[in-house]
Amino acid sequence: MELSESVQKGFQMLADPGSFDSNAFTLLLRAAFQSLLDAQADEAVLDHPDLKHIDPVVLKHCHAAAATYILEAGKHRADKSTLSTYLEDCKFDRERIELFCTEYQNNKNSLEILLGSIGRSLPHITDVSWRLEYQIKTNQLHRMYRPAYLVTLSVQNTDSPSYPEISFSCSMEQLQDLVGKLKDASKSLERATQL
Amino acid sequence: MLLELSEEHKEHLAFLPQVDSSVVAEFGRIAVEFLRRGANPKIYEGAARKLNVSSDTVQHGVEGLTYLLTESSKLMISELDFQDSVFVLGFSEELNKLLLQLYLDNRKEIRTILSELAPSLPSYHNLEWRLDVQLASRSLRQQIKPAVTIKLHLNQNGDHNTKILQTDPATLLHLVQQLEQALEEMKTNHCRRVVRNIK
Repeated sequence: MELSESVQKGFQMLADPGSFDSNAFTLLLRAAFQSLLDAQADEAVLDHPDLKHIDPVVLKHCHAAAATYILEAGKHRADKSTLSTYLEDCKFDRERIELFCTEYQNNKNSLEILLGSIGRSLPHITDVSWRLEYQIKTNQLHRMYRPAYLVTLSVQNTDSPSYPEISFSCSMEQLQDLVGKLKDASKSLERATQL
Repeated sequence: MLLELSEEHKEHLAFLPQVDSSVVAEFGRIAVEFLRRGANPKIYEGAARKLNVSSDTVQHGVEGLTYLLTESSKLMISELDFQDSVFVLGFSEELNKLLLQLYLDNRKEIRTILSELAPSLPSYHNLEWRLDVQLASRSLRQQIKPAVTIKLHLNQNGDHNTKILQTDPATLLHLVQQLEQALEEMKTNHCRRVVRNIK
């Protein structure tokens, strides 16, 4: 994990009981996790009365340093010993290291889910709906009498917030072909998970 | 059901008894070819010269024949109805037989061509799939995220279109289950009754 000097400086300030007493430290730490993981978190996350006595510039710096470190640790799936080593280097005392690791452990799953959901991917199928119809005639052709299916795939796109749909028609034989191929895929998936 | 032939149509067809039955058969062949590929006016000129008539006459004759065949095929009229409809034209027995044979021989193909004229949605052509496992991304290392990548081939108005999509294992199972239900519907009593009774 490569961390900048700014992050290190921020942590060194956090380690100092003169700048951050125990209570302030815990609050700042929780605020850092909250602003990353809570979708409804707003800028007022640092507006706690017990943090008012600290210089706002220092507060922001340390908050940013903590958030940056948390993201990097989550990205690389850092374990407790990696965390401890880095925090020791920043002159954290035992108690603060334990606190940090506990908070990290509590929030690890949410953090990993959040990080895993970031990124580009192909349009993702979320659902399917179908309609069975019996075609009787068109203006060009009477007395048809043919069943047909209309299938609509609901698709989610990471790039655009729109939800395009893909619709297509098919005969019974074609739908059987489609379902057959999807079943092959799911059987193959099942076999792969048993390896 | 009888075909209603307009006066103009009858006029155009009036050319047919004036030529050999082999010529009528040739016109029939040209008519179907035009349905398949589109009209080719040069053929009219060649035929007009050989038969010593204006190319307009030939064109009307072929078009009249085409319309007769397409309307009959569209409505899927029975042999008897076809014969009765053509009877009003006052043609010879031989010509009537020839026209009927032309109708019966080409009906299926003409109906296939006509069905392509209907408003259509993209239709399914083929599906290819691939199993993928995402191992890492820029924002998260050491992942195991299975996914199924799908290439869906669709046809619309002769154009071939492909869409590349992805889905996760749970959704894949859901898709299979839903579509199997769709196929099962055709076998229900309700659908069977409809198919049996609407003919």
